[in-house]
Amino acid sequence: MPKRSDIQKVVILGSGPIVIGQACEFDYSGTQACKALMSHGYEVVLVNSNPATIMTDPDVASKVYIEPLTFDFVKKVLEKERPQGLIPTLGGQTALNLGLELHQKGVLEELQIELLGAQPEVIQAAEDREQFNRILDSVGARYPKSFLVKSFEEGVAASEKLGFPIILRPNYTLGGGGGGIAFSAEEFRLKLATALHESPSSEVLVEESILGWKEFELEIMRDARGTFVVICSIENLDPCGVHTGDSITVAPQQTLSDREYQAMRDEALKVVNAVGVQTGGANIQFAIHPQTGERVVIEMNPRVSRSSALASKATGFPIAKIAALLAVGYHLDELPNDITKKTPCCYEPALDYVVTKIPRFAFEKFPGSKDSLNTQMKSVGEVMGIGRTFKESLQKAILSLEQDPRGCVVPQLFKEELLSYPNSQRIFQIFEAFRQGKSIEQVYRWTQITPWFLMQIQSLVHFENEIRQTPLSKDFLWEIKRQGFSDAAIAFLKDQKEESVQKLRKQHQVLPAFYQVDTCAGEFSSETPYYYSTYWGTHWPREKLSKRSVVILGSGPNRIGQGIEFDYSCVRSVKAFQEENVHVIMVNSNPETVSTDYDTADELFFDPLTAEHVGEILDYVHADAFVSQLGGQTPINLAPHLVHRGHSMLGSDLKAMDLAEDRGQFAKICREFAKVPLSGMAANLEEALELVREMGYPVICRPSYVLGGRRMEIVENEEELRQYFEKHGVHSPCLVDQFLERALEVDVDLVRGKDWTLLGGILEHIEAAGVHSGDSMGVVPPQRLKKEMWTTIENLSVQIAEKLNVIGFLNLQLAIKNDEVYVLEANPRSSRSVPFLSKATGVPLVKMGVQALLGKTKEQVQPLFKDWKDVSEVCVKGVVFPFKKFPNADSILGPEMKSTGESMGRGKDYAQALLKAFVASHVSLPQEGEVFLSLRDKDKEELLPVAQELQEMGFHLSATRGTAEFLQQHGVECEMVKKVHEGRPHCVDRIRSGKVSFVINTTSGRQSIEASLGIRRSCIDYSIPCITESDAAKAFILALRRKTSGELEVNPL
Amino acid sequence: MKSPAAYLVLESGKTFSGWWMGGQEKAGEVVFNTSHSGYEEMATDPSYYSQILVLTAPMQGNYGVSSEVWESRKIWIHGFVCVEIQNNSYDSEWQDRLEQYQVPVVAGLDTRSLVLHLREQGTTWGALVKAGSEEEACEKAEVLIKEQKKQDKDWVYQVTSRKVVDIIGDEARGPRVAILDFGSKKNILRELKKRCSALRIFPSRSSASEIKAWQPHGIMLTNGPGDPENVQVAQDTVRELLGWRFIFGICMGHQILSLALGAKTYKLKYGHRGSNHPIEDKLLSRIYMTSQNHGYAVRKESLPPDVQLTHVNLNDQTVAGIFSEEKKCLGVQFHPESHPGPHESVELFDYFIKRLM
Repeated sequence: MPKRSDIQKVVILGSGPIVIGQACEFDYSGTQACKALMSHGYEVVLVNSNPATIMTDPDVASKVYIEPLTFDFVKKVLEKERPQGLIPTLGGQTALNLGLELHQKGVLEELQIELLGAQPEVIQAAEDREQFNRILDSVGARYPKSFLVKSFEEGVAASEKLGFPIILRPNYTLGGGGGGIAFSAEEFRLKLATALHESPSSEVLVEESILGWKEFELEIMRDARGTFVVICSIENLDPCGVHTGDSITVAPQQTLSDREYQAMRDEALKVVNAVGVQTGGANIQFAIHPQTGERVVIEMNPRVSRSSALASKATGFPIAKIAALLAVGYHLDELPNDITKKTPCCYEPALDYVVTKIPRFAFEKFPGSKDSLNTQMKSVGEVMGIGRTFKESLQKAILSLEQDPRGCVVPQLFKEELLSYPNSQRIFQIFEAFRQGKSIEQVYRWTQITPWFLMQIQSLVHFENEIRQTPLSKDFLWEIKRQGFSDAAIAFLKDQKEESVQKLRKQHQVLPAFYQVDTCAGEFSSETPYYYSTYWGTHWPREKLSKRSVVILGSGPNRIGQGIEFDYSCVRSVKAFQEENVHVIMVNSNPETVSTDYDTADELFFDPLTAEHVGEILDYVHADAFVSQLGGQTPINLAPHLVHRGHSMLGSDLKAMDLAEDRGQFAKICREFAKVPLSGMAANLEEALELVREMGYPVICRPSYVLGGRRMEIVENEEELRQYFEKHGVHSPCLVDQFLERALEVDVDLVRGKDWTLLGGILEHIEAAGVHSGDSMGVVPPQRLKKEMWTTIENLSVQIAEKLNVIGFLNLQLAIKNDEVYVLEANPRSSRSVPFLSKATGVPLVKMGVQALLGKTKEQVQPLFKDWKDVSEVCVKGVVFPFKKFPNADSILGPEMKSTGESMGRGKDYAQALLKAFVASHVSLPQEGEVFLSLRDKDKEELLPVAQELQEMGFHLSATRGTAEFLQQHGVECEMVKKVHEGRPHCVDRIRSGKVSFVINTTSGRQSIEASLGIRRSCIDYSIPCITESDAAKAFILALRRKTSGELEVNPL
Repeated sequence: MKSPAAYLVLESGKTFSGWWMGGQEKAGEVVFNTSHSGYEEMATDPSYYSQILVLTAPMQGNYGVSSEVWESRKIWIHGFVCVEIQNNSYDSEWQDRLEQYQVPVVAGLDTRSLVLHLREQGTTWGALVKAGSEEEACEKAEVLIKEQKKQDKDWVYQVTSRKVVDIIGDEARGPRVAILDFGSKKNILRELKKRCSALRIFPSRSSASEIKAWQPHGIMLTNGPGDPENVQVAQDTVRELLGWRFIFGICMGHQILSLALGAKTYKLKYGHRGSNHPIEDKLLSRIYMTSQNHGYAVRKESLPPDVQLTHVNLNDQTVAGIFSEEKKCLGVQFHPESHPGPHESVELFDYFIKRLM
């Protein structure tokens, strides 16, 4: 059947802010789907609250609504747009749940909107465990024994029947949120309470453990005619017990025989049909007992997922795009294979390479949280390595993590428990175990990892010794490179310099081949320019293109601080370069992104972002230049290596970059026309005390050897300074910066060309200085900054750009205190705030950046200029944190970034925008109940009006002694509650018993921060809003007020 | 321990180098298969007789061996080529098994370049040799290829059962099926055994009267190696059986059936070998993935008017199956018995049995 003509307009739901378990893979799938449907003549309306996505760019869909993904707001959009169809299968669990809710509450029926891609019954059948198990029974598929419990008592009863360990899976949550494994009755009771709370339907599946079984996943597609294909089989290296998003996975599956594999495929087909999946993509997870071969179905998702993004990148089959087209009536045999162009889409990709995915974690950002993996996902990003053999792909994936260019050869401190308990470093421990001479049997006993994988790793370790002992002949170099060792690894093992290994390798012409990902293992010719490097092939030199060409370096795996925002810049720039008739080659290692869609750039090289791999690509493609300003810090770090290898870079030169990055030099330049916080290096406590005498408290301290805001602390007085040094070592050098207390902070993004500079906007932070710019909420246009200050900041920013001689992007972080501007930091690249500002102000920042990089003059670019102040709406940036996933981590905000994602609230006024930003960031806005306050002395005066207002709004106030007394003295009624150390029942008991609607808790100084951790943690555990900063508290009240007063509108961009 | 240098030398003189992992130097037709799994099933499939099998999936031997999955009594291939074959102290069962059958094994070869070459130049002959230099390799290969090509052109006759064999079926109420053996995969027999009361395997050059004498309810024409036009006797036998009892032909069986019906066959440029070939089945009206392994195909335009084109290969629109109500026959180019490959078309066996009862 060709496309349906009874549908003209469809709404696609995105997945909202990036959270653990739901990241930019849904930007990839949504963008693909929008493009596909638009090109088939449909009007596509997109709803997503995440401004950092490519899909929310105005030209991706017919209409884009940046609105919160909640029932109320989406309903408004549907009422306004009246589409014929709604596709809920492309925006992860968020969109699926929302689609179901809209159906259940009758909105879809009332507005005559058809749910496309997944019928409500199918969503329910796959998501409701009891129903799903009944379906499995009907097709004779096995599943772990389990009970669906709806109360604590039922749960305990079920556990008695199952025995330990037991897996807990809350219904309808994403990334296994709230789930876990319990090994004892005590642990079970604890986890059961959380799991019941986490499930929107208060249902938890209590399940027999299949720990240690082999885990597999099939990515499948089905069309309305019933044609069924398996796009990709994925095998988890980590056995059951680790969430599949946190597992190292390999495609295609490697250790099942054809009979075992086909039996699994048959079962997948039966399950998909029985569940009733009509069209689209789905995945099914299986576990297989390593000895008996017994197979059980773990779960199924009737939608595109993180693994379908991985499968698309691994095979070249664009699952989301095809799923969208199937949803509107096409059949698989009617759609051509994108890559071969000749064969149809109803086929199963054949791979002549191996793909390994490794997750990237961020435990170091959450002190107090243990680095251990279980059924709840914790990773924040992932990389994919493509190689001809498993060993080559594994090593490429490890290198892609950007942790060490030497990869896995670096010795580790071996600890048995790091093998037997799954954790983020386990793969490196396996290498070390073999280095220590442990046998495959031993390591298997510890890890239950299929011996085939262990054997592969063991042979790499054996090969390390061979490298140490054997001279580097041409033949031997070939052999080493085919095993996937980097030049840096060889250099390390040989105790040589990386440059000399590289030189020798080049002399011997030991060069990688660039092979195509073509979906068919070479069976059909294909034009699609999607490549990976391998030393298992034949290097054919290629001609320089006649057209001007650039290589764009992507941002690698998502991590906290470097995520989708940079992919946005990369992808937008591709378009901008192409418009200028430049051939664009993309290099990236992150399978979740839009930039690694083979459809995005003219050519895609899926390879690690290391100097070696990028260097080889640059040599091979003879590009005119590379671009390092778009992918965040990763390409900035690579830039000097590549320039020294003789490649030319567009935009700011190394000198400009150094100037911006070198704190000392940068401060010197800035002092010429602005203030810079005082700063100094203290070798020990005495020197630090000396420095503070000059700058005064508070100060920010950080160890000089740690990068990126880690272990930064705000120190208020001498006692705390002493404590700081005691904690980090009395004689360890430390950077001491003057801290601008209560200063207003702003981000400025600008683009500078040859003879022009264009401001992208001033993003005013809502929280005062001291909170990492990535973690603070923000607003455009500024609400508290005086208008004349805008001009001062604009002029200052232009001056700094000129002084640094930036060509291209510049991000500045400034603080304003007592009408004076302080320069905090400069980043000579596109920044995290670029997509937000572009959407809030309409200034095409990335496009302008590309114009600058290409050397365009003012005359040429002036028609594109737009004034960022010329806006009719207020846009607020909301922030999303992953604290829930990290038990025991503190949610207090500070100089270290912890958020995973952002949202945008747009409104005619500040209050409305704020409200939407909170809602879009999953912060509930309670209308009544009790507010608990615990304020530090400094904030009491300032927050008095807030307390008064809350009282006026009808909230009941409670507070700890000091705060309560203060409020009472000022005529605010307030109940006094005990602090934790004052005995029970105390404030935390009160929060945990569900009495409190939200909490305002400001605190400073390490001791009081530690003392109040219980308050914040209980809020996280019970999803109660907890405001930890006074300006944020004011904003929150403003939003609360707005909620009760009048209708909210939704408007497209 | 380093493996010695090995070469795959094509008839044209083009060489590809790799490592010699074991076995005896041999020549054969060089073909590639894109299946991810099933190396043991492929190597024991008689249709690969006299062929050097190149696997595009780079890692082979991963899951060891199991005699249960053998598709015949021996390994037929004349060479096994891949990027990496499992070969270490922990496990090298598959390589050992190949060596036991003197099959030359070459790993470390750039199979992708080879496949692209075969795709562009077409299937060709070649030899796997151990040699110190390319020249030496070419000399050795020339001799081997020449020798191998001297063999009788009726490859089916090389692999067919030498004598009539009776098999008691599992289904007492099921039909009796005569099997004209062109080099049958065991799984065709397994699928039939499940559904039939008795099976009798006839050698490829059996006559129609011999088959008729057994009084079967239906006739199965099996898969087999080589060029269908070179298969002796079988065309005539099948022609005589047309219309008498329902005939089901698979792969070579389908080609012989087509020839008997008066159609023509031709050699495909590089054949179809893999587990992912989409077929539109107009008989069961659905589309499914199939297992394929053939170098020849039936020419669409040559099909007589009373023969329906019921199955189409959606990759290249070639003939994948034919049907004639009048002549009581069904032929499919692919492998409904799979092994290796997806199982969806196994229903065709049920269809066949239904036609006999």
